[in-house]
Amino acid sequence: MHDKFKDADVLLEIKDLKIEGYSDETWVPIIKGVDLTLHRGEVMGLIGESGAGKSTIGAAAMGYARDGTRISDGSIEFDGMELTTASEAERRALRGSRIAYVAQSAAASFNPSHKIIDQHTEAPVHYRIKKRLEAQEDAMELYERLRLPNPGEIGFRYPHQVSGGQLQRAMTAMAMSCRPDLIIFDEPTTALDVTTQIEVLAAIRDIVDQFDTAAIYITHDLAVVAQMADTIKVLLKGEEVEQAPTQVMLDSPQEDYTKSLWAVRSFNSPQRHRPTDGSQPLISVQNVDAAYTGGVKVLDDVSFDIYPGMTVAVVGESGSGKSTTARCITGLLPPMSGQIMCKGEPLPPRYKDRTRDQLRQAQMIYQMADTALNPKVRISDIIGRPAQFYGGLHGSALKQRVDELLDLIELDPAKFYSRYPPELSGGQKQRIGIARALAAEPEFIICDEVTSALDQLVAEGILKLLDRLQDELGLAYMFITHDLATVRSIADEVVVMQHGKVVEQGPKDEMFTPPHHPYTDLLLSSVPEMDPEWLSTVLEERGVDNIGEAADP
Amino acid sequence: MSSFVIIYYTALIAASCLAAYYKQRNVFMLLFSLTLVSFVLGIIGGAGALRFVATASFILALAAGTSYAFREFLILISKPGLAKELRTAPLTAAFGMFVIFTYAIAGIFAPWIAPHGEAEIIGQAFAPPDENMLLGADQLGRDMFSRIIYGARNSVGLALVATLLAFFMGALAGLLAAVKGGWFDQLMGRVADVIMSIPSLIFALLMLSIFGTGLHVIVVVVAIIYSPRVFRLTRAVAGNIVVMDYIEAAKLRGEKDWYLIRREILPNATAPLIAEFGLEFCFVFLLIAGLSFLGLGIQPPTADWGSMVRENATLISFGDITPLIPAAAIALLTVAVNFVVDWMLFRTSGLKEQ
Repeated sequence: MHDKFKDADVLLEIKDLKIEGYSDETWVPIIKGVDLTLHRGEVMGLIGESGAGKSTIGAAAMGYARDGTRISDGSIEFDGMELTTASEAERRALRGSRIAYVAQSAAASFNPSHKIIDQHTEAPVHYRIKKRLEAQEDAMELYERLRLPNPGEIGFRYPHQVSGGQLQRAMTAMAMSCRPDLIIFDEPTTALDVTTQIEVLAAIRDIVDQFDTAAIYITHDLAVVAQMADTIKVLLKGEEVEQAPTQVMLDSPQEDYTKSLWAVRSFNSPQRHRPTDGSQPLISVQNVDAAYTGGVKVLDDVSFDIYPGMTVAVVGESGSGKSTTARCITGLLPPMSGQIMCKGEPLPPRYKDRTRDQLRQAQMIYQMADTALNPKVRISDIIGRPAQFYGGLHGSALKQRVDELLDLIELDPAKFYSRYPPELSGGQKQRIGIARALAAEPEFIICDEVTSALDQLVAEGILKLLDRLQDELGLAYMFITHDLATVRSIADEVVVMQHGKVVEQGPKDEMFTPPHHPYTDLLLSSVPEMDPEWLSTVLEERGVDNIGEAADP
Repeated sequence: MSSFVIIYYTALIAASCLAAYYKQRNVFMLLFSLTLVSFVLGIIGGAGALRFVATASFILALAAGTSYAFREFLILISKPGLAKELRTAPLTAAFGMFVIFTYAIAGIFAPWIAPHGEAEIIGQAFAPPDENMLLGADQLGRDMFSRIIYGARNSVGLALVATLLAFFMGALAGLLAAVKGGWFDQLMGRVADVIMSIPSLIFALLMLSIFGTGLHVIVVVVAIIYSPRVFRLTRAVAGNIVVMDYIEAAKLRGEKDWYLIRREILPNATAPLIAEFGLEFCFVFLLIAGLSFLGLGIQPPTADWGSMVRENATLISFGDITPLIPAAAIALLTVAVNFVVDWMLFRTSGLKEQ
């Protein structure tokens, strides 16, 4: 596969690239000498954890250094033109016309006050490649190729009037508008649901193939990059770990770091089963309907039980009502009808009416550790407050309890006791969030997408920690997630939700063996696998027009 | 060609050449553009204009030098964390801090610094400056310089107290409105709207005519006029914070509103509030000066910059600059505070990017 590009021209050649970032009044290296060679028509996948420098290299391929960073050494040669020494005007002339960029969040990258097609035609008209009408016709053709519904009409909508997956495809179309030689995809599907992701992936792959465009595909998801890339380059902390053609890389990674990345998905917690002695569920959600003020029903007759010491995973796309269910259980959103039972007794619908002990029972761990921890409060106070509030601990007893909790989440108390959240890494912050929940000594914890903002290795560590804590402390978890790999590794029971309804529920082993409910089936089969042929196989099975949202029954 | 002109040009060109030789691009640009400007001005205005330009540049350079030295001094005496922040301060902010520092010293130690009492009549009305009276005498023969020093204490002190009270009321109402929401938020919002809909000076004049012109009345009236602005800012800032997950976590823990305000919200809202404090202080200060100028503020014989302008206003028709000195004192403080606030605003907005 690699030989395919041996004869092709080199399009982009980066040699010994070094980039520095300005922090604390000194320049610190971010990229420490990376080489990259990209041939015409080749798709290279850049993978690595956050902070590995993937996006920085992606931007550097356009000759661009973000604010507060500078290219300190090395050369970037694009089609015979040296970008590091080129003038700003020359580099700007390349961007949009010969090098295009597709950002992670299409919703944030489109200007909300202009129609999509006007933003699409801006580049070709600006570079005088096409007249406005020609460019519009071309846009419609591209929309059709990317299988957007109503290609003739969709461009005349504003960005907020189309769905996330469609917007991401519209952005890919926009990148294609000048038929560039190189497109940089910066995590284009990370923010999307699996069912939407698959159609964006298919669209991107098709269009890159059709126009023989070279691409740099940046992602942290190995399974995704396996579908897209011809070559994979693994980065760690600004340095290259290894590079190889996709198939070779997947079959026989050379470096330990790469192997550890590959092994991440292997974690599996043994499945527990419901107690058979007829004991009561810890939390029981019974026929709950809920709506936000004045809105339509978000939850429709939701019922499920969570038994002590078990993990119930609630899965579904965004907007399916997973988090709303959690808000009903915690009492932030009183249900319209139905009730939440805790150990056989109904909980008051509003959290304000609940007793301190009832509040203590159910704790929550949040998705974004950044917003879940107060940046201006010391770690010791964040963890200590629940212990002080519920347990009435003071002075040395409180300090001892905080140390105990920090030990429990595998952070060194001496080092972290008096730090502030912004000084911590993402994984460490999430651990502090866990410690805060544990400090209340609950029996039940709601984990709201706790790993989705983390790198795979870090997420793995968090899952293992949660699993260990469950064994040691007998906790029950409600695990809200859209990542089925997480479900596979940690869940005991699975609840599948769609449009505010529970479509299927049962023990994990039953849920992962056919026959499924059609929606469960769609969810399961949309999860990318580490096989480069997976996408093609799925597309064949479903038919080209029948993927993603289109396959929604 | 006087010797002054020759020395002036020689010095400028020599300095430009030196700067160019040592590759000090910015310094060279500054010096050489000054040379060119002086050249044009010299042709049009003669030696007088050149003298003016030279004096102005000298004063500017002196201010810059003072600011630089003051900043370095502050960096050296402060703790490492604060020193790091201070190092990011531009010269204008350092200048502002220096001016505020000077005013504070003048206000606090007024009785020791001022050579005469604020109400002490020691000379003839409108006496010109002499070795006894640095800036001459006012319309009753009181020492102008002493009154300016005492004015720092009275005007600035009063404005400070009024601003603090406005902040206390506004911030408390804003935080409570953000945390409680619902009808309390609505009520507070409408009350703020009502106060803001009345022109502030007219409202102040009305209140002061009704309740008399005591110091406590001025403080309370001015605080009421300015608290809605603080309320709106605090509510907006706190409104962004109360939607954070950590507030939700604290609410679910069963924490009371007062704890939320004190421990969770306030630490995150201090930076914009301090910046706003500086800005509001200027407005309050100007309003009080304005009231004094109209005769409804601080009452004589207490020295106050606003009323000093009014008392000496007759001198303006004789081309005397005496009434402008207290006005300049007001202007300088306002500009200085704004320099510092600008820097603080820049810093807080910079923090958001992280």
